[in-house]
Amino acid sequence: MKRIIALVLAIVLSAAMFAGCQKTPAPPESDAGSSTAPAVGNKPVELTVVTSYGGDDGNRANYENAYKAFEAASGNVVKDASGTSNEEWKAKIMADFETGAEPDVLFYFNGNDANKLIEGGKVVSIEEIRKVYPDYASNMKDEMMGASPVDGKNYSVPVNGYWEGLFVNKKVLADCGVEVPGADYTWEQFMKDCKTIADKGYTPIACSLQEVPHYWFEFCTFNFGTVANHATLPASSSDEAGKAWVNGLNDMKAMYEAGFFPKNTTTATDPETFQLMADNKAAFAIDGSWKLGWFEENAANIDDFTVTYVPAKNDRKATDMIGGLSMGYYITKKAWDDPEKQAACVEFVKAMTTDEVVSTFGATAVTALKNGTAVPENANSLVTAALSLTKGATGVAPAAQDLLNQAARNALFADVKNVVTGKTTAEASVDAALAIKG
Amino acid sequence: MNSMIYKKKGPLAVFLTPALLFMAVFLYYPFVMNVVNSFFNITGLGTAAQGMNTPWYQNYTKLFTDPNMAAAFGNTMLLMILTIVFQVGFALVLALLVDTIRTGSQFFRTVYFFPIVISATALGLLFNLIFLYDGGMVNQLLLKLGIADANTLIDWKDEGHYLFTMFLPVMWQYVGFYFVIIVTGLNNISPDIYEAAEIDGAGGFKRVRYITLPLLHNVLCTCLVLAVTGALKVFDLPWVMMGRGIPMDRSWLTGTYMYEQTFNVGDVDYGSAIAIVIVVLGVIISQLVNRVLKEKEY
Repeated sequence: MKRIIALVLAIVLSAAMFAGCQKTPAPPESDAGSSTAPAVGNKPVELTVVTSYGGDDGNRANYENAYKAFEAASGNVVKDASGTSNEEWKAKIMADFETGAEPDVLFYFNGNDANKLIEGGKVVSIEEIRKVYPDYASNMKDEMMGASPVDGKNYSVPVNGYWEGLFVNKKVLADCGVEVPGADYTWEQFMKDCKTIADKGYTPIACSLQEVPHYWFEFCTFNFGTVANHATLPASSSDEAGKAWVNGLNDMKAMYEAGFFPKNTTTATDPETFQLMADNKAAFAIDGSWKLGWFEENAANIDDFTVTYVPAKNDRKATDMIGGLSMGYYITKKAWDDPEKQAACVEFVKAMTTDEVVSTFGATAVTALKNGTAVPENANSLVTAALSLTKGATGVAPAAQDLLNQAARNALFADVKNVVTGKTTAEASVDAALAIKG
Repeated sequence: MNSMIYKKKGPLAVFLTPALLFMAVFLYYPFVMNVVNSFFNITGLGTAAQGMNTPWYQNYTKLFTDPNMAAAFGNTMLLMILTIVFQVGFALVLALLVDTIRTGSQFFRTVYFFPIVISATALGLLFNLIFLYDGGMVNQLLLKLGIADANTLIDWKDEGHYLFTMFLPVMWQYVGFYFVIIVTGLNNISPDIYEAAEIDGAGGFKRVRYITLPLLHNVLCTCLVLAVTGALKVFDLPWVMMGRGIPMDRSWLTGTYMYEQTFNVGDVDYGSAIAIVIVVLGVIISQLVNRVLKEKEY
């Protein structure tokens, strides 16, 4: 009898162990053409949402306010799993999708970074969603939503577009007797001013070359191209686009050798170097429109800071900027096929992309809203400067680095520290990155 | 009657089967797949392989030509030596000292063991603040004491200091773990032996040399095996402090480099090859240590 009980116990234990390995029953296939919208107002559901509004993102508070308002209005619960947008964050999201642990709603890039999601049918197109929910993203201009390079369809609903600009610590500049750069500012003048700033004991440029050299790479290469041809993927370091990348990297090397970056730029993290701006120890930093919130939160006096055009050389004008609508909200196929979550996901994205919410995220940013963003009434001096910046832009080019696959981009930026310190050449670095096929 | 259960092996086999199946599914099968994956071209975790590598063993030749892998291997070996010397060594000294005091030994046991209960990630963040270049605790002290000025501050993560900065917290974290094991071993030594030695005129040093250390042999062997194999698995604390090989790809460990290749670079097959190196190293080194430090029967 004991043996029989033991045998039964062992079988039950074994069966229990494998129960977790069973394939989850597939939810009913959504027949977009014929199905109707699941009734909204069903029992509250928990939505897992991943965005880049984590960490010290300047829009973190706006994001929290928006999703908490959605929770209060709908009764649904948002399980926020946001992080800071960097290569590790992107890799983690891809790994989550590939292992079946994807979120229900994802705020992610709409360029090449999302190609695997589109190709693998992991996210639902706006066209398909509109067959069931016709007013989905109806407040957005379709042609500006950021179509996928895979099939030209829209998959994500953008919130705020982005621009990249030169953030300036006016207090440091005033102490050094240097003028705030303007629209006609040249690269030569910029290098002279950096020398003056360095001689005065300040750090001219706040940047971690080991972690986030991306923005300086983008503008240094932009200086050897134009708005029309900047976003071109080189075939090698010797073609026209490749030479622009090589020259850009060599300009960064010249800046490093001149001592314009922080002394620990090859070992510091991005937050460490940016703190130099808030502490009035550094003069310049290039970053995106999302950084406005960081300055508002961290600056002792927001009026000590402004944002302006990145200095230019060759054919590029300083007023030619990098920008676009590169991110948006995706609904994953897994959530779309879940009858309990489908409507909640749609409602969530709609709530996060209303005209009012989008305006709180980036009044100064490029927008796909049909009605445009509402400019805040009590805008501070930094926001006013950003509005002036975008108004005065003579051209906007998308970021060239977005043309690279994850592995290639990772290799290129990991090699910047080796280029600037002379451990490798810019040509070798560019060729090595371009050789990586993803 | 009770002995019957040991004579009949059937029930034992029945009870052992679930654990064996568990190991097969969650350890041996993934390991075999990991070996297979290391020969294929896989560009993302969970994605299908895009054919075999050409040549199929390319990841294994790359292991020998990749300078970052050389750095990772060297640092891991160094960590192993440092672990033996500093973690087990310090733990032994501290345990011997605490064993000699009559009051407060429990206090010291708690104090030395405490770092073990703090997560390595939290410790990494803590030591990051201590060694921060601009405004870190150590550099602030150097400034206050006039040892350095703004131009001569030390970058504790640069090529001259990164080993110290990375390994100090790792050593500090685990001393308490071995300390507790050794103190337990010391408690098992009969006080009668010490009393007899004292009567025979043996001093403190001789008692340690001829009684304590020989009787702690097996405990120390266990500590050394744990320390050596544990060194191969160190990941979290160095990753938080010296993520991505800071400085200049010098601080990689086999574990952190495998993670970087698999999750950040997306070179899953190369990451698999590195994982195999870690397993092979672990098996060889633990076997070596077991043979060198054979446990004694008393």
